Amino acid sequence: MTARVLVIGEIRDGHLLASSLEAVGAARACAGPSDRLEGLLVGPAAAAASPAFAAAGLASVACVADAALERPTPWAWSRAIVAAATAAGAELVILAGTAAGRDVAGRVAARWEAAAVTGVTAIGRAPGGRLRLSRPVFGGRATQEVEVAAPRAVLAVRPHAFPAPAPTASAAPATELPGGTGPEGDGRILGFEHVEGGAGPDLGDAAVVVSGGRGVRAADNFSLIEELARSLGAAVGASRAVTDAGWRPVSYQVGQTGKSVTPQLYVAVGISGAIQHLVGMVSSRVIVAINSDAQAPIFRVADYGIVGDLFAIVPALTREVRRVRGIA
Amino acid sequence: MEIVVCIKPVPDAETRLRANPAGTALDGEGVKWALAGYDESAVEQALLLKEANPGSRVRAVSFGPAPRTEEVLRAALALGADGATFLEHPAEVVPDPLLAARAVAAHLGRATWDLVLVGKQAGDDEAGLFGGALAELVDAPSFGGVMALTYDASARRFTFRRSVEGGAEAAEVPGRAVLALQQAWNDPRTAKLPNILKSRRATIDKVAWATTAGALGPLGTPTTQSVGFRLPAPRSGAKMIDYRTPEEAAEKLVRLLQEEAKVFP
Ligand SMILES: Cc1cc2nc3c(=O)[nH]c(=O)nc-3n(C[C@H](O)[C@H](O)[C@H](O)COP(=O)(O)OP(=O)(O)OC[C@H]3O[C@@H](n4cnc5c(N)ncnc54)[C@H](O)[C@@H]3O)c2cc1C
Ligand SMILES: Nc1ncnc2c1ncn2[C@@H]1O[C@H](COP(=O)(O)O)[C@@H](O)[C@H]1O
Repeated sequence: MTARVLVIGEIRDGHLLASSLEAVGAARACAGPSDRLEGLLVGPAAAAASPAFAAAGLASVACVADAALERPTPWAWSRAIVAAATAAGAELVILAGTAAGRDVAGRVAARWEAAAVTGVTAIGRAPGGRLRLSRPVFGGRATQEVEVAAPRAVLAVRPHAFPAPAPTASAAPATELPGGTGPEGDGRILGFEHVEGGAGPDLGDAAVVVSGGRGVRAADNFSLIEELARSLGAAVGASRAVTDAGWRPVSYQVGQTGKSVTPQLYVAVGISGAIQHLVGMVSSRVIVAINSDAQAPIFRVADYGIVGDLFAIVPALTREVRRVRGIA
Repeated sequence: MEIVVCIKPVPDAETRLRANPAGTALDGEGVKWALAGYDESAVEQALLLKEANPGSRVRAVSFGPAPRTEEVLRAALALGADGATFLEHPAEVVPDPLLAARAVAAHLGRATWDLVLVGKQAGDDEAGLFGGALAELVDAPSFGGVMALTYDASARRFTFRRSVEGGAEAAEVPGRAVLALQQAWNDPRTAKLPNILKSRRATIDKVAWATTAGALGPLGTPTTQSVGFRLPAPRSGAKMIDYRTPEEAAEKLVRLLQEEAKVFP
């Protein structure tokens, strides 16, 4: 029998997020050859974004061009998703595990009476045919395997866990779904502000993260970390020692009480490697540590280590990265 | 204002994790359970709102197995919550956050409240599903990643910032909302000894699993099942780069990232 999978695309500032394309990759990983993958986009930019979304391998894309869904509230978005899933006769809804994606996943699951699994990093089938998913738990200190024991499921996939499919020439039709997302006035998003230095990629979404710790010694010196990050096209993170000292805002914090990140490359500079920091970054693919103390616990989770003074190493590294990447 | 704060016991951050003998889930044996991270912030936020809005009450609610669930409720009482509700569940590990949300929703449906505070994600399963699911079930607005929350009593409106990729959004909701808190930006207080002693004698309202199961019907069955729990193979230790000059260290590292690790952007 053909299963139907609905992949939810997320649009920000008029652009489809890369992690939404990865969600299509995840949908392919669990769909059989005869299964039908459909997409859903909401907001005024839906129609414009639909060709790029379809090109990742969707049979059709439904668009809800409701202007009220430009920055959808979780409840308005969940109504649109459940309506589209019901209209498509889907058994599976897949979305990217961004902040907004995770906010909406639980609502969709409750409304649609489906199972829900977030943070998905691998998808397979158990011998009986049930969906079987891997996900990091305990801040990446362990991996859990979960089976879905319900006829319907919502999956939120972890950014960078699945490759975005190479775009195909697609003639997938874009269909219009009606808006009408329910009563207004029950809360709204008033505006968005970028964090300082937020010109680089988003911390939770970046392929490379460079983080600085107390070893940086002062707020002004943190620019060393930011220059290295810029040369690598990386997001900037920090340990709690840095955010507690007010050198950088709390939104930079990586760890148990900050953000969990899973980049391809994590560079920890002047960070000792306390367990509360490790839980937020230990599932990064490759970890580099730069620290003057050869006994620092960070070296136990690192793949590559440089023992040395960050004030000498980091500028040299920034120069070398710029040279190799051909940045003036 | 009636504030409900939903909390869940999770293994303390220092706990050494182990799989159970069947290899399907965490081994609960010897685990030190605690009110952790995000939930601690949620309790703190509830108490701050109560202090800023005289006449408010804070009730802590938790769904799970005895005795650890009762213990975190006592911890919340010791911190200053006015009441606690223990929704019993017989399983060793709460099977899924959706079931927890359904259980709490069944209970909250009959109560009056203005705000439910939860953690953005629990320190164990890190699902981040509970708040949204609960809000949908009780038909209330919800937001996650909430920071710097304030209440405007005359307009009955909550305003806050919420953390999203690349920045923060400013947002507002009217009363009867579910908000999931970002992190310990609010510096949770510690309980004072007399309050800890008092909390040991406090009564906790208990709801038997049979009652909740009766209310949930077929939706009382878990929709997911944990079938595996693996700890990562320890990294073999860092490859240490030896060098004479910082330039040499930088060159060697970049080459390793390009040629060996293949992660150089
Ligand atoms: C409940 C709780 C939650 C927490 N949550 C978090 C969290 O989310 N995130 C987090 O990060 N922490 C968190 N912490 C704090 C954590 O325990 C550590 O205190 C913190 O991570 C330490 O930050 P650090 O590594 O930058 O500083 P330190 O531990 O002081 O380490 C500084 C490092 O810099 C090195 N150094 C110094 N000078 C140089 C130099 N010139 N060149 C190179 N290296 C140098 C030192 O050798 C040292 O290893 C939490 C703690 C608690 C109790
Ligand atoms: N069994 C439970 N009882 C009460 N609150 C819970 C329970 N499970 C989760 N929560 C709340 O929901 C938050 C997110 O949990 P989760 O969806 O499991 O990541 C937690 O931080 C708690 O505030």
